[in-house]
Amino acid sequence: FTKGQCCLTTVSCLFSPALVLAGLADADTIFALSSGHGRCGVAVVRISGSAAATALRCMVGLGNQLPPPRTALLRSITDPHSKEVLDRGLVLWFPAPHSFTGEDSVEFHIHGGPAVITAVLQALGSVPGMRPADAGEFTRRAFHAGKLDLTEVEGLGDLIHAETEAQRRQALRQMSGELGRLYQNWSHRLKRTLAHVEAFIDFSEDELIEEGVLDQVDISVCDLQAEIEQHLKDERRGERLRSGVHVVITGATNAGKSSLLNTLCQRPAAIVSPIAGTTRDVVESALDIGGFPVLLSDTAGLRDSPDLVEQEGVRRARERVQQADLTLLVVDSTILPSEEQEAAALLLEHLRSVLSSQDQCLLVLNKTDLLPEAQREKLNLGLRRVSGLPPVCLISCQTNEGLKDFLTVLQSSVKTMCGDPLSGAPTLTQARHRAHLQHCVAALAQYRRYRNSDLALAAEGVRLALTSLGRITGRVGAEEILDIIFKDFCIGK
Amino acid sequence: KSTILFSGWLTVSTCNLSRQRYDVIVVGGGHAGTEAAAAAARVGAETLLVTQKIQTIGALSCNPSLGGVGKGHLVREVDALDGLCGRAGDWAGINFSVLNRSKGPAVWGLRAQLDRQRYREFIQAELLSTPRLKVLEGSVEELLVSDPNPAEPGRHRVTGIRLANGSQPISASSVVLTTGTFLSGSLFVGRTSSPGGRIGDAPSSSGLTQTLRDQLGLRVGRLRTGTPPRLLKDSVDLSLAKLHPPDRQPTPFSFMNTQTRCKPEEQLPCYLTYTTPGVERVVRESLHLNCHIQQDAKGPRYCPSIESRVLRFPGRSHQVWLEPEGLTSDLLYPQGLSMTMPPDVQLRLIREIPPLHRAEIHTPGYGVQYDYVCPTQLSPALQVKNTQGLFLAGQINGTTGYEEAAAQGLWAGVNAARRALSQPPAALSRTESYIGVLVDDLVSRGVTEPYRMFTSRAEFRTSLRPDNADLRLTMKGFELGCVSAVRHHEAVRVRCSLQNAIAALQALTMSSTSWRKKLPGISMSENKNQTLSGMDLLEYKDVSFEMLASVFPECLSPYMEFSQRLKIEAVYKPHNDQNRSEIKRIQSEENMSLPQDIDYFTLPVSLSQEVREILDRFRPTTLGAATRLQGMTPAAIANLFNYVHFTRSKLNHTTVSFSLEDL
Repeated sequence: FTKGQCCLTTVSCLFSPALVLAGLADADTIFALSSGHGRCGVAVVRISGSAAATALRCMVGLGNQLPPPRTALLRSITDPHSKEVLDRGLVLWFPAPHSFTGEDSVEFHIHGGPAVITAVLQALGSVPGMRPADAGEFTRRAFHAGKLDLTEVEGLGDLIHAETEAQRRQALRQMSGELGRLYQNWSHRLKRTLAHVEAFIDFSEDELIEEGVLDQVDISVCDLQAEIEQHLKDERRGERLRSGVHVVITGATNAGKSSLLNTLCQRPAAIVSPIAGTTRDVVESALDIGGFPVLLSDTAGLRDSPDLVEQEGVRRARERVQQADLTLLVVDSTILPSEEQEAAALLLEHLRSVLSSQDQCLLVLNKTDLLPEAQREKLNLGLRRVSGLPPVCLISCQTNEGLKDFLTVLQSSVKTMCGDPLSGAPTLTQARHRAHLQHCVAALAQYRRYRNSDLALAAEGVRLALTSLGRITGRVGAEEILDIIFKDFCIGK
Repeated sequence: KSTILFSGWLTVSTCNLSRQRYDVIVVGGGHAGTEAAAAAARVGAETLLVTQKIQTIGALSCNPSLGGVGKGHLVREVDALDGLCGRAGDWAGINFSVLNRSKGPAVWGLRAQLDRQRYREFIQAELLSTPRLKVLEGSVEELLVSDPNPAEPGRHRVTGIRLANGSQPISASSVVLTTGTFLSGSLFVGRTSSPGGRIGDAPSSSGLTQTLRDQLGLRVGRLRTGTPPRLLKDSVDLSLAKLHPPDRQPTPFSFMNTQTRCKPEEQLPCYLTYTTPGVERVVRESLHLNCHIQQDAKGPRYCPSIESRVLRFPGRSHQVWLEPEGLTSDLLYPQGLSMTMPPDVQLRLIREIPPLHRAEIHTPGYGVQYDYVCPTQLSPALQVKNTQGLFLAGQINGTTGYEEAAAQGLWAGVNAARRALSQPPAALSRTESYIGVLVDDLVSRGVTEPYRMFTSRAEFRTSLRPDNADLRLTMKGFELGCVSAVRHHEAVRVRCSLQNAIAALQALTMSSTSWRKKLPGISMSENKNQTLSGMDLLEYKDVSFEMLASVFPECLSPYMEFSQRLKIEAVYKPHNDQNRSEIKRIQSEENMSLPQDIDYFTLPVSLSQEVREILDRFRPTTLGAATRLQGMTPAAIANLFNYVHFTRSKLNHTTVSFSLEDL
């Protein structure tokens, strides 16, 4: 966005639709890491909303005074509960309406290490009334307050689109993992639990004859609360969120994908052989490219194989490509036609069969050491002129020829992505999950608190719990709950 | 405060039409039609109600009961807007109970068994004594449609109706159709079917369906429903069923009533019994004789026929309620035994149930299939979007239930009258009423099965309670013109008293230690030095307003009348405070209207083809409704907002009609 002032990402929507069962309110105070992701000296965490002053007071030792407006102060930033010092950094107070969003705002300028950032974000998430910002939410609030002009506003839709695309990829990645399965399982159980409470309320004494519906609900609320609490305590295990830009190497068999991985890792991370179909599973390696974290995956060569193991490898390869931030499509340059137009056509067709149109990609033509010099030049110059092709790099993993140029191109792609906060900082993602899970646990406690006195208020707790979890796993509408009710109960008098 | 006044049974006769032009014509005399006609007349429109038989105005075609969980909420809201059904229920009720008593006041379900005769009498008497309202017996042959008024959106304009007997057309600014199951209705018993919407009544004219479908181009769908056989009371052995007494003290539906007509001790009980394996056997054996059940029109999942119940959940026993039909009626209504098999098989089936082993059927059960107009073609005022002045309410919109029909009828009547009187359409938010939830669900999402109200459909259930419907709606209704001065005055008095009482409670602040001394025996979890107000105390489960009033009689005893309402307010207050900002956000989205004449396919805005098609199909009237459409993306909403906000304000050279805060 023009001022680089968009917040970091979440999975949920910008304009949370009213279908959300009792959602978290607009007037919540939001926070996010507002500086870009990647290694940096200073990170900026921004807070906006009515509780910004509360957050400032309880995390920064200021006595009862708020600092003078728009003045940087060097202070210790502490956890509001444990009082442990998290970092020492600059603190700025922007009272409404003189802030980016027009609301009371606070900025913490802290050290850029992931541990510090995570700690500060987690601490903020534990302050009552605070939650991580949704996609574009700072911008949206600025928009509400009339702080943006028309040209800026016109970019808003595009910004949201870009964000949701990046989030979709990120969500897909997380949701297919172990963590995703865990969240989906909770969400599924919570939906059923809510459906049973709602059935008990809406189909009263004279319509519903199933006994013990609520006893089941009590048990599942209890179990869910315990499981989520356990998960929150046990930070490391299970949280297999992979950091950095996901770069996936793909291509036909024997194009030299594993050689490329080994070349980039500067170690033999994958087995290479002249036999087609050597790599059957995904091989991963964490790299540092130009200071940015990259997770590089080598995948099985794409071909139709009768071998079941290899078929599975190919399926996984395609799945990885779908979830990738950047794909390196490796092609054996020796199989390309010598005529550049024909070569381009072949490459385009190959691209279409592997990638969807929006995916970011670099085309890597390998084994150039086996090409005659003239042919190499012809391809190099010729393919650059073809429109519709992604950037093309000619390399030889055997002789390292062209590797330097390729690394430059790769690095600039990764840098663009990391500079773009949308590719998702894992620390933030974790903090966001944590905050929503904490809300979820608190809401489940509300069920138990009101279980015997007021079932409408108890059900409100389960609704809130599902909304909080839905902010990680996706929304749940009233119709979906009714569908479960009718599936599970014989209703009607 | 008045108890029920009823001037007695008025003679019903076809009125002579004093005019050939009305502000509002309502077609149909069921729950939707009667509320619509009465509401339109209250708002100030000269109104004509046309019905096939004056005698069946206010008839309860199916179950002899009103209210229930969610439905009772609707009755309370209709009453708060001065509608008929709440007062009619208090007049005709013969068995009152509050369902969900133990589950919290937000979900209490006010319900009553009704005396069919009394209900009809009350509704007819009300209508016939309503100023500006005429009732005419007749069958509507066609709708008169002309070119639209170019100043308003829409492709057609309704100008009146023509009756079947070929008389002069009757013109009107607004027409409300509440034809229930009569739109292309077919009745099913066994393998036979015949045209009609209710047994014993003539089918309605096919001209109406043709106008709607062919001339106005409205999309229609088909739904089905059914009703059980009516049993002769004397033939039922009630000693074999479980007696289910009503509440000892009836709770009236209406805010204007402190008691019901039926005295507590005069109430009649209901009886509960269960199906047996024999019932399932008869159903299975007779499936080939049952063509209603074989049709694929969608029936309600929550009020299923006995056939669908035993087929979907085999091997179980299902509840059957035996309900009185009236104080003097010799019939019983077997709730839960809706069926469509041939009459002889119906008899065999019911006799498999022990208390019914010698039962006689007075009228067999039957199924009905009927057309409904896909309600996404309506505006939130329940006006057909492409036809100026045409309003639809009730089952024609795909809903089921008396209460759902009454609520829509009232709302359509208010808006039809406002249109005729050149007033802007009225809006009710889903954040402030179940009627708003109902209308918004219908017009923004449509229906796939008969729509029934559930409390789980309301996002803000703890705010939209039966006890506070008057506070939520009566003042608003008074502004809209559909609430009488008497009711308005009463609601204002109640509101003031509640506000004063809450202020008095909040002013009573003491440390928890002092409270403990004042109210020994109350267990308080708060720590010693915390200061608590009377309102905080009242939130405790075992603290009642009466207890507080006995400790502080001087400041609280004036409010004893409201003790229950105050207790409820105290319990829900913290939650409602939490919800307030979310409610405000939804309301502001609902207040941002989208122009109805947008051509979404040529709109110079970045929208995907898919989104354009969705917007074109549903034509949401507000940004709020657009956000609730399936398949809408956040980016599309933002772009739409930008377009409406900026393009429109440029075109009009006026200030933007909503503030930026509204987004």
